[in-house]
Amino acid sequence: MSDTPSNKSSNPAEASATRLADDVIAVQRAPSPTRSSSAYRAFGATLKGLRTTLARTLEKPTTIQYPEEKTPVYPRFRGRHKLHRFEDSGLEKCVGCSLCAAACPAECIRVVAAENTPEHQVSAGERYAAVYEINLSRCIFCGYCEVACPFDAITMGNDYELSDYTRSDLIFTKEMLLADPIERTPLRREGE
Amino acid sequence: MPRPTPNFVTFEIDGRDVTAPEGSMLVDGAKYGDVEIPVFCYEPKLGQPVGACRMCLVEIEGIPKLQTACSTPVRDGMVVITGSQRVKQAQNAIVEFLLVNHPLDCPVCDKGGECPLQDIAYGWGAGRSRFIEPKRHFEKPLELSPLIAIDRERCILCFRCVRFSQEISEDYQLTFLERADSTYVGTHHGHPYVAPFSGNIVDLCPVGALTSSAYRFRARPWDIENAGSICTICPSQCNVTFSVRDDMKVLRVFARDNAEVDDGWLCDRGRYGFQAIHSPERITRPKVKEGGTLREVSWDSALAAAAEGLRKAGAGTAALAGGETSNEEGFLLQRLMREGLGSPHVDSRASGPIEREHARALARPELAAMVSDIDHAGAVVVVDSELQDESPILDLRVRKAIRRLGVKVIVVGGRPGALDPPADAIVRTIPGGAEAALGGLAAALGEVEPADGAPADRRAPRDSSQTPVGGLDERQHGEPARQGESVEGGIDDLSRRAGTSAESVRNAAAILRAAGPVVVLWGERLSHGARGGAGVNALLALARALGIPETEGAGLIEVPAGTNARGLREVGCLPGLGPGLADAPSAGRAATEMASALGDELSALILLGADPLRTHPDRAAWTRALDAAGFVVAFSDFPTEALTEHADVILPLESYAEREGTITHPDGRLQRLRQAIGHPGDVRPVWSVLAELSARLGVPGAEGFLTSPMVSRALFDAVPFYAGLTLEEIGGKGKRWQERSAAAAAPAAPELPAPGDLDAPPEPLEPENGDLRLGTARSLWSGRETEHSPILRFLAPGQRVELSAEDGVRLGVASGDEVTVARNGSSVRGVAALRDGLPPASVYLYEGTAEGNATELLNGEATTVRVHKAAAE
Repeated sequence: MSDTPSNKSSNPAEASATRLADDVIAVQRAPSPTRSSSAYRAFGATLKGLRTTLARTLEKPTTIQYPEEKTPVYPRFRGRHKLHRFEDSGLEKCVGCSLCAAACPAECIRVVAAENTPEHQVSAGERYAAVYEINLSRCIFCGYCEVACPFDAITMGNDYELSDYTRSDLIFTKEMLLADPIERTPLRREGE
Repeated sequence: MPRPTPNFVTFEIDGRDVTAPEGSMLVDGAKYGDVEIPVFCYEPKLGQPVGACRMCLVEIEGIPKLQTACSTPVRDGMVVITGSQRVKQAQNAIVEFLLVNHPLDCPVCDKGGECPLQDIAYGWGAGRSRFIEPKRHFEKPLELSPLIAIDRERCILCFRCVRFSQEISEDYQLTFLERADSTYVGTHHGHPYVAPFSGNIVDLCPVGALTSSAYRFRARPWDIENAGSICTICPSQCNVTFSVRDDMKVLRVFARDNAEVDDGWLCDRGRYGFQAIHSPERITRPKVKEGGTLREVSWDSALAAAAEGLRKAGAGTAALAGGETSNEEGFLLQRLMREGLGSPHVDSRASGPIEREHARALARPELAAMVSDIDHAGAVVVVDSELQDESPILDLRVRKAIRRLGVKVIVVGGRPGALDPPADAIVRTIPGGAEAALGGLAAALGEVEPADGAPADRRAPRDSSQTPVGGLDERQHGEPARQGESVEGGIDDLSRRAGTSAESVRNAAAILRAAGPVVVLWGERLSHGARGGAGVNALLALARALGIPETEGAGLIEVPAGTNARGLREVGCLPGLGPGLADAPSAGRAATEMASALGDELSALILLGADPLRTHPDRAAWTRALDAAGFVVAFSDFPTEALTEHADVILPLESYAEREGTITHPDGRLQRLRQAIGHPGDVRPVWSVLAELSARLGVPGAEGFLTSPMVSRALFDAVPFYAGLTLEEIGGKGKRWQERSAAAAAPAAPELPAPGDLDAPPEPLEPENGDLRLGTARSLWSGRETEHSPILRFLAPGQRVELSAEDGVRLGVASGDEVTVARNGSSVRGVAALRDGLPPASVYLYEGTAEGNATELLNGEATTVRVHKAAAE
C-alpha cells in the first residue's frame, strides 16, 4: 500500500510542514471529482447495492414471529433449572446436600435440608431438601450447580423466558423447579 | 505442683530443623515446623494417645519400622521423614482400609464439608479403592440418646468418644461392643447415653458417626457463619461459638477452646440450651398492664409508663439483677437506681446480704486463683457445691487434675456428689455444716507444727501493708501459740457442730498440709442466709491457715449461683457497695430484706432478668411482696408466674446470643459477649433500654451512651481496678483484671481472721419428732433453657427428695415414692430418692425447679422439715 503513514511522512512537503509545527495534521484529499466519476457515484453504486436487495426479495423471510414462534435452542443450552424425580419411585433425586449452593458463584441457591421419616419419605436418602430455592434474578446460568450435583438431581433446562413483574416472583421454589415445565422452548433438531 | 516450664529440643523433620517443647508428641512438634501429620484418634485433650487409627505413621531414622507420630515424643537430634514413598504408601493404605467399610454417602452425611476423613482422604489418600466387596451394614440412624444420633456404618473405631466417656467425663457409659468388623460403639445395656457432657462426643467424632440431633441436617459449613461469644447459662462462662444461619438463627453451639476457662469442653445444657432463644414463647415485644391485662405496646409508651411509675416511687424503688446480667447492664442499673431514683436498694444476690468487708476480701487479687491453677495445685478443696450441677466445666477440670496431674481433692459438704468417688477425703457435714467444717479444718491445719518449715511459712502474718479497715474483726491475732491452744479442744467441738467426725477433718487437714498450693472451690451457698457472714469468715480463716495469700498458684474460686455474680458485685450491684466495691453513699436493702419491705417502705420493683419466685428463698414472702408492690418493671425473656400476675411493665430481654458487653468469670477474667444474631421482634439491647430509661429519669450523661462499647468505657473508668481496660485487650480469650497493673487499685480488706477469731458456729439443729434437716441443691437441668429447648425438655427435673436409706426405712418411703415435705404450713411434693452416702436425718431438695420448688421451704435459717409419704390420690 502506498498511503501508509511512513510513506506520508516521507513526502518532503509534509515533512517540512511537520517541521513547521508538531500539531499540524497533513490531510490527504481525494482527487477533485470529474463528470464521469460523479455520474458513477450517483447511479452505479446505488444499483450495485440494490442488486443485493432485489436478489433477497425472492427468498423466504427469516424473521421469527416471536412470541408466537420461538427460536429453538441447542441441546446443551443453559436455561431455567429443573429438579428431577426418580421415574420409578417418584422420590426426589435431591438429598439436600447443598453442594450446588456451595458451587454457585452468584450465591443464588438456598437449601435447607430435613430428615426423611418412614411416614414422610421425600427423597431416596436419609435427608431431603425441605427448602430449595433458586433466585433466578441473580443466577448467571453458569451451570456449576449441575456439575456439582452428585445425584443429577438438578439440570439446566431449555427455558429462557424468565421475565416477570416482581423480583420476588423470580425466586423459584422446589415445587416450581420440580414441576414439569410448560414446554415453551423448542429444542433445535439434529443438523438444524 | 508448680507449672512446668517447657524445655525445647531440636529435631529434624523433612530436612529442616525444628525446635519444639520436650515431651510433646511428634504430631504437635511437627506443627512448629509447619509440617502437618494427619491424625484421626489423636486428641491431646483426651489425655494419653492410644495410636488406634495408624494414620500418623512416619519414618524415624534409626527405627526400622514406621512409627506413630501421635505417641512418639520428640527427642533431641531425632530425624523424621513424613514425605517418603514408604510413608505415603502407608498413608494411602490406611485411608483405603478405613474406606473399606465407610459408606461414601458424604452428600447425605451431616459431617460433609467439615469432615476430617474427607479432608484426609483427599489430602493423603490414593484417590481410589480396590475393594469391590460389600461394606458392613448396621441399622441406622439410631438414637444414642435423644441428643445424639449414631450411624455405626460410618464409625472408623477411633476410640475418641469412648475415651471421653471413660477418662474425661468419667461416666463410663460408652464402650466398644463386639469384635472385629462387627465392633460398634454403644452403652453396656443399650440404655441411652444421657450424661451431663455427652454432647462433646459429637465434636470429637472425626467422621459423621455421631451427630447432634439438634443440628442434624440443618446446614452445611458454607451455609453458616460462626460467631464467637460466651455461654452465660452458668458461672463456668465457657467460650462458645454460635453457628448462625441467615443472621437470625442459631443452629448449634460448640466449644471455642480456651484453656484458661473451659479446656474446650461444654456441658449439654450449654450445647443444646440455645434452642430456647428461638422458642415461640419468648417475649419479643414490650407489654404494659392496662386494666388488669397485659397489652403489647410500642417501646416509647412502655418506657414512658416505666419511667412514670418509677419516678413516682423514687427512692422507694428496689431492683434485683439476675445472674445473667452483663457488667454494663448492672452498671447502668445501679446508676439508674442511685443517681436517677436516689434509691440504694439494688442487689444481685438472691439469698441474703454479703458484708462489705467480705466482698472486698473476696475480691483481693492475692486470694484469687485462676481456673488453670486447679491443674497445677497440690490439692483442691470443694466446699458446699456440686460442681457437676453448678459449674459443670469445673467438675471436668477437677477430674482432669485428679486423673492426669495427681492433684488431691477434698470434698466438704452435706450431699454426696459426683466428685466423691475420686476424692481423697470427704468431710461429710449436716446441711449448713460447712461453716463449722471449714473452721475445724482451719484449726486442724494450725494444730500440729509441721516438720518441714514450708507450711509454717504459709501461716506467717500477711504483709503489714494490708491495713485493716475495720468492721470485720479488729482483734489482733496470728500468734501461733494461742491458735494451738484455743483449737485443741476446738476441732472436736467444731466437727460435732458440723455434724462430722474430727477424724475426717484431721485427715483432710493432713492431706492439705502435705500438698502444695491449695485451690478452694467454694459454693455461694456457704455465704447464704443468716450464717452467711460467718461462713465467709470461716472460708477466709481457712485461706489464712492454708497460706493462700502468700502462695503462688493457690487461691479461692467462687461457684456462684448467678453467672456473673462477681462482675455484678464489682460494678456496684450490691446494696452497700458502688462500682469498684467502694462504699455506696447510703446502704440499701438486700434482696431478702426487700421482700419484707415491699409494700411498706418500698413501693416499686425492677426485675432485670431476675425471677424471685423461682430463684430466691422464701417464696411465700416474695409472693406477698410482689402482691404488695405498687409497680413492677420486669425485663424478661419468658412469661413466668411472677410476670404475668404481678408485672406492670414487661420489657423483652435479650438472649445471650444477642447480647453485647462484658461479663466477669468467678476467677476475675473479664470476657466479651459479642452479638451473634439479630434481635427477634421488637427486642432491643438491654443496655440501650436502661440508658434510655436513665435519661428519662435524669441520670446525668445517660443520653451519651450510643453504643455498648461507650457503656463499657464508662464502666472501666468507674471501677478503679478495671482502669484502662479496653475491649481490644479483653479480646477473644478474656483478661483477668488481677493480672493488670490497675489491680493495685483493688480495695483494701482487713486482715484475714484466724481460726481462734471465729464465732462459734451454732449447735447443730436437733430434729424433733423424726423431722429432717433441710438442705438444698441445684440441678444442672433446672432452668428456662431446659424447659424451653424442645430437645432438652425430657431432662427438666421434677422435685426429688433425697433421703438417707435409714430415714427411708424409718419413714416407710422407698425410692420413687411420692412424698410431701412440709414446714410451717408450706409444703412441696416430690419423688423420693434414697441415697447411700447421705447422712441420716438430712433431706435434700432441688432449688429452682418448675414444680415443687424448694424455695418454698427456705427462709435463710437452718430448718427442719417433716417428710411423709404423700397420700395416694
